Amino acid sequence: MHSADWRKRGYLRVGLLLIAIATTGFAHSRFETRSRVELGQLQVPSADYVKLWSLGFDAAVADYFWLRAIGVVGAEQGAVEEQGEVLADLIDLVTTVDPWVSHPYRFAAVWLTRDRGMVERGNRLLERAISYHPLDWRNRYHLGFNHFYYLDEQLRAADLLEGAIGLEGAPDYLAPLVARLRSREGGLQVAAAFLVQMIESAEDEYKKAEYLKALDEIQIEERARFLDEARVEYWRRNGRDIEQVTDLLAGPNPVLQRLPRAQMHLDGFEWILDPETNQIVSSFYRIRYQLHESETDRQRKQEWREREAAAEAEGA
Amino acid sequence: MIGRIWAMAVNTAREAVRNKLLYTLLFFALIMMLFGTVLSALSYVDRERMVQDFAFSSIRLFSVAIAVFVGVGLIHKEVERRTVYTILSKPLSRAEFLIGKYTGLVLIIWLQVAIMALFFAGVSLLLGAPLGFAHLAALALTAVELALVVALATLFSSFTTPLLSSFFSCGLWIAGHLTRDLRDHGASSASALVREGTTWMHRILPDLESFNLSLEAAHQLPVAASDVWFPALYGAGYVAAVLAFAVMIFERRDFR
Repeated sequence: MHSADWRKRGYLRVGLLLIAIATTGFAHSRFETRSRVELGQLQVPSADYVKLWSLGFDAAVADYFWLRAIGVVGAEQGAVEEQGEVLADLIDLVTTVDPWVSHPYRFAAVWLTRDRGMVERGNRLLERAISYHPLDWRNRYHLGFNHFYYLDEQLRAADLLEGAIGLEGAPDYLAPLVARLRSREGGLQVAAAFLVQMIESAEDEYKKAEYLKALDEIQIEERARFLDEARVEYWRRNGRDIEQVTDLLAGPNPVLQRLPRAQMHLDGFEWILDPETNQIVSSFYRIRYQLHESETDRQRKQEWREREAAAEAEGA
Repeated sequence: MIGRIWAMAVNTAREAVRNKLLYTLLFFALIMMLFGTVLSALSYVDRERMVQDFAFSSIRLFSVAIAVFVGVGLIHKEVERRTVYTILSKPLSRAEFLIGKYTGLVLIIWLQVAIMALFFAGVSLLLGAPLGFAHLAALALTAVELALVVALATLFSSFTTPLLSSFFSCGLWIAGHLTRDLRDHGASSASALVREGTTWMHRILPDLESFNLSLEAAHQLPVAASDVWFPALYGAGYVAAVLAFAVMIFERRDFR
């Protein structure tokens, strides 16, 4: 064959190759290539079904679905809250196929917060986490937090957090936090008793000091409550409220003979009226012993209540 | 007898080494192990573990592929090329021929598992991922599983075509990983037939999940010696039974 024919054939081949590439590129640009996660169309197969068919590749299969779960949170389209069901299904799948994973449980706890149902699903996952990682304080902490913060179940939260105290890596503030939670429903005596028990069993001097500090705060709160009662009595006797705490000692018929110490061990602190709340507080703590609830928390709880009421009304 | 089997095994191993499919699958296995590092970058936690998971899965997947696709042609090639007549005309029994072929292929597969395991260890060390006894135990049991898969491939190869052999071998490998779950699902069935059927399936078919320590390896969970020895013993017994069955069939086979 002549070289001109070879050249012609070569041009023809290159031409065909370019046409093929251009056609492929054109066609590819014309159809939907966004992932199902981004389109919000991700369908999660049944966890048991995937477990059955993982054929011994459990760890890799779980990793694959974990990456999809990250994709759901990382996807730009749609808020994570809207994808809650998908995310819960994915984490359920991941932890069914490989229950020994650690982080996905807490990942679910952080993201599954849209409503009570989602929080409860997250909690079930955390309960599974605890059964597989009984010595990991973080799962108990997240579960306790969910019960306290989202479900308003202080005593359940206290029980769960108590289980985390003493586990490796658990922070020292857990015991005081448990005491605080117990104080809300069980009263100060219950909280104090818990702390006394913790102090007696603590082997670490630093931890013991932390618990003692928390116990001091409870004792100061008990005194503050005593002053509250005295304040009511002052009102009854004088027909007006106190302007300062020392008013309780003033007058011909004082309500109290003397004020208790405002700090258990240090001098120089006094009882004052908090200008914002008008509560009697120690100038050492400047806040009463209670669980803090922010405005956002209150709003969220209100929204939940409204949503649940609407769902109930719809059901009826 | 051992000498003749060994000579056959060495010969089979030499032949298998010349098989391009072996290198292709080995190459892809190594590529997949590296791909795991790319994939794990998508996660913000447990990256090293994910690399190990994908690498370990690659070892298992490609080793099984090699075991099946090289194993199914084991006897067929000899028959097709008529070399079986020459070999069997020598003072070598059919049983020795078959067991020698099997041993040779198992040795080659274990060798490639060892190569992949070294690569796995290298990648793990490079990434600072932990390596422990659980990995070793998981690899050892993978080797036992592969020996069993090769035995199954040899059995099917002794009486049918490579295509059907690969279907049967793959089917049994899949079924072998499902029998436990099927038994558990069957146990809750209202039908006694289903309950008994799934229980017997689990007893008769190879319980390949007993060789699966991938989760233990992934999470460095404690592995008791009995978790390795009993499955290994079970695998050895099963291999012996399958090979005995294969020999029985092969001895009755008419090559005309």
